[in-house]
Amino acid sequence: MKKLALFTIILLIFGTISPSLVNHAYGQNDPGILLRIATHADNQIVNQLNGVYGNEIPNNIKILYQKGHFAVESLDESLSNNNIEKAKQDFLLAMNSFMQISRTIFQSSEKVVVVTVSEKSNQSISSEIDRLEKYVKSLENISKKYDIDVESDFIKIHDLIQELRAEINNVNEVHAGIKKIKVLLDSIKNDIRESASKQSNAIKDFFEKFLIQIDQKLLEAKNLGRDEVEITKADQLILEIRELLSKNQINSAKILYSELEIVLKNIGISVKIT
Amino acid sequence: MISLIEPIQSKNSLGDDGILFVRNDSIFDTMIKTPLLVASMIIVAALLPIQSSFSSPRDLDLIIYPDGTTHVSTEIEIDPFLTDYELNLFGNTIDNFVVIGNDEFLLDTDIIDDTALIQTFGFSVLKIEYDIHDLVSKQGKLWTFSLDSPSDFKLLLPQNSAIVGMTNLPINMEIVNDQNQLTLSSGKTEIDYFFSTSTNPIPDTKTEIDYFSYVIVGVIIVIILIGFTIFVRSKQKNSNSIEQIPTSQKNVISNIETIFKLKPDLREDDKELVKFIFNNGGEALESELRKKFLQPRTTMWRAVKRLEREGVIEIEKKDLQNLVKLRKSMEEEK
Repeated sequence: MKKLALFTIILLIFGTISPSLVNHAYGQNDPGILLRIATHADNQIVNQLNGVYGNEIPNNIKILYQKGHFAVESLDESLSNNNIEKAKQDFLLAMNSFMQISRTIFQSSEKVVVVTVSEKSNQSISSEIDRLEKYVKSLENISKKYDIDVESDFIKIHDLIQELRAEINNVNEVHAGIKKIKVLLDSIKNDIRESASKQSNAIKDFFEKFLIQIDQKLLEAKNLGRDEVEITKADQLILEIRELLSKNQINSAKILYSELEIVLKNIGISVKIT
Repeated sequence: MISLIEPIQSKNSLGDDGILFVRNDSIFDTMIKTPLLVASMIIVAALLPIQSSFSSPRDLDLIIYPDGTTHVSTEIEIDPFLTDYELNLFGNTIDNFVVIGNDEFLLDTDIIDDTALIQTFGFSVLKIEYDIHDLVSKQGKLWTFSLDSPSDFKLLLPQNSAIVGMTNLPINMEIVNDQNQLTLSSGKTEIDYFFSTSTNPIPDTKTEIDYFSYVIVGVIIVIILIGFTIFVRSKQKNSNSIEQIPTSQKNVISNIETIFKLKPDLREDDKELVKFIFNNGGEALESELRKKFLQPRTTMWRAVKRLEREGVIEIEKKDLQNLVKLRKSMEEEK
């Protein structure tokens, strides 16, 4: 039984320290990924080299490519030999060589490859609309938790997004549409905040605990003979904050709290509860 | 004189006023069912690493859009006693910034350069989302993603993007909606990519077996098995040290047929019991017999009593259980 108890204690210790082991080990999860990425990059570099230089690859790039390609081969071998540390080094060497090659290729071919303005804008605008839609959806999800009448606004926004997608080539029109949507979203955000502040007991509870602590610290400050004018000012602000909280005016309470923070600093009171 | 030869155990058990004290070691052992307790501890200990490894203090997910803008979503735990929290952003060109506290509570924020001041007021978990334009730069057709991340993160690259350079070791890679999603470790990372219509996502690793997870589970199973083996062995040792009879009995009762010849009137099911006990080294716990023959407690008890009456077996108490043993004197009777 003693042995068993000892074994259990060892197991418990293992259980306690193993999360760090697990995290460390996760860093070595499936080293095969390294080979797949490196091989893929190697192929892409070969395609680019053929496309840009054909048979006339400059010597410096040839040398870099050979370095990278050999590193990929070495990576394959290291993985076969289960030498993970060597595989990591090979991977970084290969990817570094390919990085240098691609930077050289694309810098030198910048003049040759023309990216048309309309293509660039379309891609950029489409991405911007995608992100905006994501933002809208996230606000829509939040708004569902609160009792606010913004459903019609969201319908309007979704319709506008559809219109923007249809008119993606008309850059000016799209930008104007995006601005319109952002104004609507700002208004919705304010509505959510206002409604949320009314419903939140968590913030009120937090304020109440906090104000009790500050009351005590002000008393101590009085006893220590600190600036009485500032202490009276702080007491007054606390009263006002409590009144606002009782009326559910959280945002106004927050603004007054910022003022209180400055007064407390003047008195020399730390505002962080520990 | 009498007191001199009094057994030590009796001495300890009797108080000055004649009150009988009972040694409570074995009672304590039995009452709390130590094996059960130890088994529970083993299970708890084995589950601890799994439970802990599942919990993550911080998530960071990034999505690179085709125009190079990156969407950042992160979840962080903060001190609930703070009135505000200063979050370092990954740059200063930020759009669509949203911070949600516990219970989907939208929090007030103020962004100054690359810092966001979030009024947390008692919230302990913050979900933060924003778009940032500073993480990806472009040189010709080549795009470069750069980030110095404080934690491990997931990065979803745009569709049709081909990675041609990387300065960090990827932890994992998956295909999500035909896009490569890399899991990268904390620290500085630079990834070069370009768009190519001929680019296919790098083959998925999701379908491959996660050998490491299997190794962890395997190790835990092996540890449990070792523990169980130690437990069983220690139990056997105990029984051996207490009772040395089985080995000697095994030597005495050499032939099962002799027993059946001596007791020709034994029932067939009783004979099966005797055979089992004989093959088990001449003894077996009543509970083992019940398990082996799938008999209820009372039925097995009657069978054992019957065999005892026939003089085939004898019953001894061992750890509050009935130990059924073939009688040593059986062969002598012939």
